[in-house]
Amino acid sequence: MTATQITGIGSVTPFGPLAGLLPSISIAPRVITAWPTNGLRRAFLVETFRPAAVVPGLKTRRLDRLSAWALVSSSLALQDAGVDLSQMDRSRIAVVFATSFGCVELTEAFYQSANANGWSGTDPITFPETLGNAPAAHVALFHQLQGPNLTLSSKNFAAESALLQAASLLRHGQADMAVVLAGDTLTQAVYEWYEAAQMLAPACFNEEPLTPSTGFIPGEGVVAMVLEPEGKRQARSYAALLGGRWATGGGAQAYIHQLLGDGAPQRIICAGNGEPCASSSETCPALKIAGPDAVILLQQPVASGLADAGALFHLLLALSQRPGSGEALMLGAAGGSGFAVLHLELP
Amino acid sequence: MIDAKKTIVVTGIGVVSPYGIGWAALRDGMLAGRCCLQPATDLYPGFQGTLAQVGGLPQLPESHHLSRSDKLAVLAARDAVSGYNGASETLRESGIIMASTVAGLSEIDAEIAKGAAEWYRHGGLKRAASYSVSCVGAAVAESLKIQGPCSTVSVACASGAMSIALGANLLLDGAAPMVLAGGSDALCPFTLSGFNSLQALDPEPCRPFDQNRQGLNLGEGAAVLLLETLAHARERGAPIHAILRGWAMTNDASHPTAPRSDGAGLAACIGRALEMAGCGINEVGYVNAHGTGTPLNDIAETHAFERAFSGRSTPIPVSSTKSYFGHCLGAAGALEAAITITAMQEGALFPTLRLTDPIESDSVDYLRGELRRQSLPVAMSVSAGFGGSNAALIFGRPRP
Repeated sequence: MTATQITGIGSVTPFGPLAGLLPSISIAPRVITAWPTNGLRRAFLVETFRPAAVVPGLKTRRLDRLSAWALVSSSLALQDAGVDLSQMDRSRIAVVFATSFGCVELTEAFYQSANANGWSGTDPITFPETLGNAPAAHVALFHQLQGPNLTLSSKNFAAESALLQAASLLRHGQADMAVVLAGDTLTQAVYEWYEAAQMLAPACFNEEPLTPSTGFIPGEGVVAMVLEPEGKRQARSYAALLGGRWATGGGAQAYIHQLLGDGAPQRIICAGNGEPCASSSETCPALKIAGPDAVILLQQPVASGLADAGALFHLLLALSQRPGSGEALMLGAAGGSGFAVLHLELP
Repeated sequence: MIDAKKTIVVTGIGVVSPYGIGWAALRDGMLAGRCCLQPATDLYPGFQGTLAQVGGLPQLPESHHLSRSDKLAVLAARDAVSGYNGASETLRESGIIMASTVAGLSEIDAEIAKGAAEWYRHGGLKRAASYSVSCVGAAVAESLKIQGPCSTVSVACASGAMSIALGANLLLDGAAPMVLAGGSDALCPFTLSGFNSLQALDPEPCRPFDQNRQGLNLGEGAAVLLLETLAHARERGAPIHAILRGWAMTNDASHPTAPRSDGAGLAACIGRALEMAGCGINEVGYVNAHGTGTPLNDIAETHAFERAFSGRSTPIPVSSTKSYFGHCLGAAGALEAAITITAMQEGALFPTLRLTDPIESDSVDYLRGELRRQSLPVAMSVSAGFGGSNAALIFGRPRP
């Protein structure tokens, strides 16, 4: 597999809207005030900001926050990559967006209009913005990107699959560059679903410091990365994606052996998609392969809050720790429901 | 010279359509020219329109709640592998790329807006768990015990065709020995209400490409293709229904909902697919169009065909088979891929039903009236959707 370089990063996360790597500060969950809650409830929330203040010219008033964040993060990633779109063949630039819930905010608004006015009285302006591909379509429209435009979801591993499928588009000559995005927004209905399903960590209900526990703290945000084939353009690289796989079943160990041969990665990046990779039966063999000297970058709750779409955020957090150069494996595990492995080379 | 390891073939086709369960039901219904569109009033109070529903779904053993889109997908996938007689391990390692736009929206009532927590307490919790489009692919994986890579694409009405394109990419990557690729979408008040609010629905049976077209009708269904490389298919002695010779995806980047009026984005997509297929414009014998029946889509699509097939020796034969059972949204591209392969196998160019006064074009031969019988070595299916996305698939008849 030919290496694909990650040359630009943009994000809208609880750290705020940022280009490039994240600052080395820790983020605590915030108290939810956007909707009435039954007592104290916390989550990793994106603080409200004006998209046009970050990206001049953006018009996002009628858009779902997910679309607005996709626009901001893609703009920051392209800027960070030093891409001059006016000099590029935009028909050869793809957009690949990974999400679990899509534009859930406006979907809820559409249900509200149906509840208030009946299904015959719903809002025609809202409906198209509820579609899952609206964020990626807005990114294409704003930047005039006319290559393949994909939105996809995969249980537990949406972001990993987006990254790998974008790399596949580049490898097969179906695009010369790809903007890969992954993210979700948190709404009352989503948060209450997690709560009703008893999936929340105790830290969601009190202001105690975070401690290892069962459950998770929901989060929100979008991370965008610019992918380019190696050697196509002189650009700084955050990491090279050498290969990878995501799967709904087992076999991580065999795949990792096949991927690495006799090699051993110096770094393991854990992407928590339901189960800590350090204790997962699927991925802990990789930790053994890596040996005692390997650097283990544990998953961080702020990114785990994004669940299926969290892997780009996990990768961004790991890169932001400046873990040094060399081979790295990014591992995601989901109990008995599969695994994801990304083989990376850090410059 | 064909590289068998890089040639993608279709070795199984599964369909659930308003004609019933199975590819044969679709083929027989369409060859008979039977229209499944019917007046309906029961999708929600106040709705009066025309649509096509799938009747009589069998019970599925469920370990958790499946949405109607999940069920349609599972039934189509089972149909696609019903003739599979290879190693069970190969099927287990296969990939899945499904497509859906509705997914679990069909399971959520408007009452959720009164209070989500309350709705979850009264039975909504399990139903809402099927909301994410990822559930469609996951349902297929669980049903068939497939453990390879699995994704669900959601690119509005181009989703079904894109799943096939991405499935083919997955095979070229060597990521799986076979891939089940297709789409599934159920009818539900949410989408019906949405298209109704946009005034995009024709209250009568739709008339794609007619100058008096009024809009689309919604349908539901699922189709799944079993894809593998020619080398893999030969090795296991699989029947080859068609060769996927080329595929492409583009975006108009022009408007959030409307297609580019000059058809340039779709024409570029067709051009790329032809290039990949190594196929001249005169080789394509039939295009199964997106053909929704909306005023904007059908004229833009006509312009796309005029651009893409400019210089062709004869007008390009085109029809919209949405006139038979409506627009099945995320399933449409996959269903129309199955119909395109059927057309090649049967040597049958399906006419657009109710097309009496076609859009004027010297470059497009709008098929209407009787079924046209002719040998069809190469055919194309195109799809487009809200958000400006386009997809084109080119199929070839397998060599004997």
